[in-house]
Amino acid sequence: MMEAKPKKEPLIHITKRDVMPLWKAILVRVIAIAIALAVSAGLVVILTQKNPLEIFSAMFNGSFGTPRKILNMLQDVAMLLCIALAVTPAFRMKFWNIGAEGQVLMGALASAALMYFLGGSGLPNGVLIPMMFIGSLAVGMIWAVIPAIFKAIWNTNETLFTLMMNYVAMQIIQICIASWATSGSGVMGVINLNTKLGWLPDLFGQKYILNIIFVALLTVFVFIYMKYSKQGYEIAVVGESENTARYIGINVKKVIIRTMLISGAMCGFAGFLLVSGASHTITKDLAGGMGFTAIMVSWLAKFNPAIMVGTSFLLVFLDKGASSIAMECRLNESVGEIITGIIIFFIIGCEFFIRYKINFRSSGKEAAK
Amino acid sequence: MKRIIAIIVAIIAVFAFAACGPTEKHDVKIGVICLHDENSTYDANFINAIKAVQKSLGLSDSQVIIRTNVDESIDCYNAAAEMVDAGCNIVFADSFGHEDFMIQAAQEFPNVQFCHATGTKAKTAGLSNFHNAFASIYEGRYLAGIAAGMKLNEMIESGKITADQAKIGYVGAWPYAEVKSGYTSFFLGARSVCQSATMKVVFTMSWFDIAKEKESAEKLINDGCVLISQHADSEGAPKACEKAGVPNIAYNIDTGDLGPNTAIISSKIDWEPYFKLIIDAVANGTAIPTDYCGDFSTGSVALTELHENVAAAGTKAAIEAAKAKLISGEIKVFDTSKFTVEGKTLTEYIADVIDNGDYVPETNVIHDGYFDESNAKDFRSAPYFDLTIDGITVEQ
Amino acid sequence: MESVAIELRGICKRFGRIQANNNVNLTLYHGEILSLLGENGSGKTTLMNMISGIYYPDAGQIFINGEEVVIKSPKDAFDHGIGMIHQHFKLIDVFTATENIVLGLEEKGRFDIKAASKRVKELCDRYGFILDPDKKIYEMSVSEKQTVEIIKVLYRGANILILDEPTAVLTPQETVKLFEVMRKMKEDGKAIIIITHKLNEVLSVSDRVTVLRKGETIGSVNTAEATAESLTEMMVGKKVVLNIERTDPDNPEDRLIIDGLNCINREGVQVLKDISFTAKAGEILGIAGIAGSGQRELLESIAGLQHVNTGSIVYIDPETGKEKKLRDMTPMQIRSLGVRLSFVPEDRLGMGLVGNMDIVDNMMLRSYSKGKSAFLQKKEPTDLAQQIVDRLEVVTPNISTPVRRLSGGNVQKVLVGREISSGPTVLMVAYPVRGLDINSSYLIYNLLNKQKENRAAVIFVGEDLDVLIALCDRIIVLGGGRITGEVDARNTTKEQIGYLMTKSAGGEE
Repeated sequence: MMEAKPKKEPLIHITKRDVMPLWKAILVRVIAIAIALAVSAGLVVILTQKNPLEIFSAMFNGSFGTPRKILNMLQDVAMLLCIALAVTPAFRMKFWNIGAEGQVLMGALASAALMYFLGGSGLPNGVLIPMMFIGSLAVGMIWAVIPAIFKAIWNTNETLFTLMMNYVAMQIIQICIASWATSGSGVMGVINLNTKLGWLPDLFGQKYILNIIFVALLTVFVFIYMKYSKQGYEIAVVGESENTARYIGINVKKVIIRTMLISGAMCGFAGFLLVSGASHTITKDLAGGMGFTAIMVSWLAKFNPAIMVGTSFLLVFLDKGASSIAMECRLNESVGEIITGIIIFFIIGCEFFIRYKINFRSSGKEAAK
Repeated sequence: MKRIIAIIVAIIAVFAFAACGPTEKHDVKIGVICLHDENSTYDANFINAIKAVQKSLGLSDSQVIIRTNVDESIDCYNAAAEMVDAGCNIVFADSFGHEDFMIQAAQEFPNVQFCHATGTKAKTAGLSNFHNAFASIYEGRYLAGIAAGMKLNEMIESGKITADQAKIGYVGAWPYAEVKSGYTSFFLGARSVCQSATMKVVFTMSWFDIAKEKESAEKLINDGCVLISQHADSEGAPKACEKAGVPNIAYNIDTGDLGPNTAIISSKIDWEPYFKLIIDAVANGTAIPTDYCGDFSTGSVALTELHENVAAAGTKAAIEAAKAKLISGEIKVFDTSKFTVEGKTLTEYIADVIDNGDYVPETNVIHDGYFDESNAKDFRSAPYFDLTIDGITVEQ
Repeated sequence: MESVAIELRGICKRFGRIQANNNVNLTLYHGEILSLLGENGSGKTTLMNMISGIYYPDAGQIFINGEEVVIKSPKDAFDHGIGMIHQHFKLIDVFTATENIVLGLEEKGRFDIKAASKRVKELCDRYGFILDPDKKIYEMSVSEKQTVEIIKVLYRGANILILDEPTAVLTPQETVKLFEVMRKMKEDGKAIIIITHKLNEVLSVSDRVTVLRKGETIGSVNTAEATAESLTEMMVGKKVVLNIERTDPDNPEDRLIIDGLNCINREGVQVLKDISFTAKAGEILGIAGIAGSGQRELLESIAGLQHVNTGSIVYIDPETGKEKKLRDMTPMQIRSLGVRLSFVPEDRLGMGLVGNMDIVDNMMLRSYSKGKSAFLQKKEPTDLAQQIVDRLEVVTPNISTPVRRLSGGNVQKVLVGREISSGPTVLMVAYPVRGLDINSSYLIYNLLNKQKENRAAVIFVGEDLDVLIALCDRIIVLGGGRITGEVDARNTTKEQIGYLMTKSAGGEE
């Protein structure tokens, strides 16, 4: 009877998987990256007729080519990670804070302003730098808590609100630069270039080491805060279910405001590090979109600060690789970005195969026999 | 770990030092830092120039490193330092905002030559290895302005517009001297042939913003501007002009393919002579001028091909004649008898020529009846003409 | 014998490690009502979803009218005359009944709403539905909405109807009406499958019963030859004693006095009107009513989750006898007053528990804020979690499994276990056995009885009137946000309660 059957099953159908064992999940991801590299290699050969190995080695060189590149890469990882850590509590709470860019910029502006105005006041670094630190945190907090208050009291949409706050921050920076640096070119220039006042000191004769150490400490702090503190627990409950939070008597409004204060403070801290520990200037592009990339870092890591170290490294590595390809192979940076896009596509895409299983027609038949 | 890094960095620094004796041409390695990539007409101008120089001097690909999309932040310092690590003995940066980071790098790597376009601080930085460069592009602009004036005259003669309607629109990036000097010289060129010309300027507050530049051009056209020029780096304005059928005069690159029916001509700084100069200087062990201003004689100031289908008849001849007079010194672009500021003729103007970060003007730059722009010898190469002359209205 | 409408042979379906259906066989004839009986998780809904094209079987064959078919999508199912009425209605509120019924139909030619309305009317008359085709959905009662869903599939020409727990949302009177309609459809030659837990309904409406257990067909019997006990045994796999041991209240004293409670919700609708009653220690107070009559708001007002407009909520301390006013207090404030008030809400995973957190973290919900430390204390909740898992026989890989992965019964055990662990003096439970299998249900009933014996004032909101009558001491009935009557559970009937439940509908002042 079965043989006589003319009917056809669908060629494939998709079913949800149970939990996949860890080693298998890792294997899937490794395979995904391998395929991603193969596809991008193919693309490179088609587009440029260059040896794909040359491209990949250029990519690797972007982050690891010289000790300085390693250090620069670590600095970039640290900054991206810092902002990713900052957005994490809010996202864990399902408060879609896409205003990290603006919060970082405002924090940076506070530091830059203090450096600019107090640079000639004779204050020593021991006083000026802590002032900049506190100022950046305070301003970052203010910038973050405004949408939180609106959300808590009037239930405004935080996504749009925080997004728009970014543009307001950028415009404020433009205005400040225009009034401080009156040449009219929109360039502030390095502040205290000769006195180095308000600059975080070099450690071991190297720039950025302090930044990297600070962010490492912050990572540990956020990890502990989210996992072991009562406040972290409250954030998780509010994020999972506001109803449950109400049910056990958590003051949801208070948690939203408090969490955004913390988030904003960390963004402000990132701004402080960018100004005091790296660029020593302020531009509206200082955060360079990291406020948005950080969301991807946090999300890819499923809000786990330990994994975020890895995801921020991955994104920085890809970014540096892209510009390194552009430089060494004399290609437009877009080629590097295409490769980055392909790799991220496969990394995110492979999650589907971790969660779902694809059944083909034949396997169903055999089971029926 | 950190110590190891420090040691390795030190070793590399030593190598960089060692590589810095008398240098042959095949030992020259130049790194070029660009704010954007080829999509920006401004950066494309640099990239094309260095590639051309590489070809003409027979340098290999590994001797010329180009880094694009380098922000005016610590990224610029990082890029410069990485280039030094890679063995570059010249590092060049193309954007005004790169300057301080180049100085930072120059302080750290005294054996590498750092050259910076459009900058103002070489004379005050006190560093022997940091140099500024620019060109007397205001003269090129003046010639381009003549092409604009001729076109306006043609429109007036054909009855398309009345003499009062000869209004030029100008899309500027930032309200600062480089841009102001540019549009003023352009306007003076136009008015030298079309007396009734006026000009309206809008600023985009960005060097590169396609949407905003396009929007600004469209706004100017709606405002009654019959000819558009721009000093901003995207193709936004030329494209808007082509769409509206309004003649356009561009900057940095030939826009003939963007506006086959509207592009007249472009003025541009040709950076090839300067790139050649610094590479030769390093190869021969000679000094690079602290502040360099190229002009017609060095080939630094140039006009791209004149599109005769759009340009008014006789434009070529008029430009050639004016160019000859500029070279001979018979005419000056900023001849104070040719323009007024708030109704008055200038006899003295104190400009902020010496850049020590205070924005306080200190030097009189008017002498012998003209405003002495981009005088690298006495003043500096980067422009300092930042007045708004009568006939030009600036929209804030 | 009648002709076969649908036949399933060897149907298998697997979700990850869970074999939802294994080699299931089922036969349905034209002109019969078949009950599909089985505990939660026995695979009833999965099986029906495969017939209606929502899932695709891993293996097995489906025959309709003797011919093998492939059902890849709900559209295929429709084409074969299969119509499923889901538990959750899929209707558009602002459309009329007719508009909802014809929605999505692709008929050739100009659309004629009048003709459609006429056809709907005809269907109503034919099967005895009572429905105004031009009434908007938002004006309808639950039962009317269900009627719309049924007519929707009939309108599309369905010959095989599947009803997934249709009586869960209906009053006893409405259930009787539904069954009458089903019988008429049967006489008209339709084949009907009804999924239900309620054995008395199975016995009263169906012709045959097919029982599933753990994804497998246990057997089919003619209803006439079955009893409640025999069916339970087939379902559970062993004999189950189906009675609740109710003790008489021992010295009931007032614990919670509710007086003149009025409550207007965010939409401005008055959801509670002048509610007054007293809950006593050592007794179970039942609250009956059609779903949405104010049960949730009442419990949430007491728990401090719902703003109250007027009235008072007074708690009498069992030790001191002093009165404590609870109105307008937050749950935290109530707890800090020393009031041991526990609440098992209707929405277990959306309110009582956090689905993505493990059992230990869910234990912490009530206790995490204890102590001055800024950090969480994991020891106590871990112990409590282990205790509950052991004592209530929660089936779980371990205590660090997210509760969302547990079955409904085990989720409820975790929630109830936590809520009674504090030794509550007031215990409020809302629909605590909804979706639970028979064994788990009786375990919960026994836990409630034990709390009653421990002198807690238990407030039980239920939907199964048989259970309310068997378990509670007193029952108050809610209708349209007000109390429509109070009965002694030992001296009442389902009909009396059912009458009280619908009383307020027409009895507006």
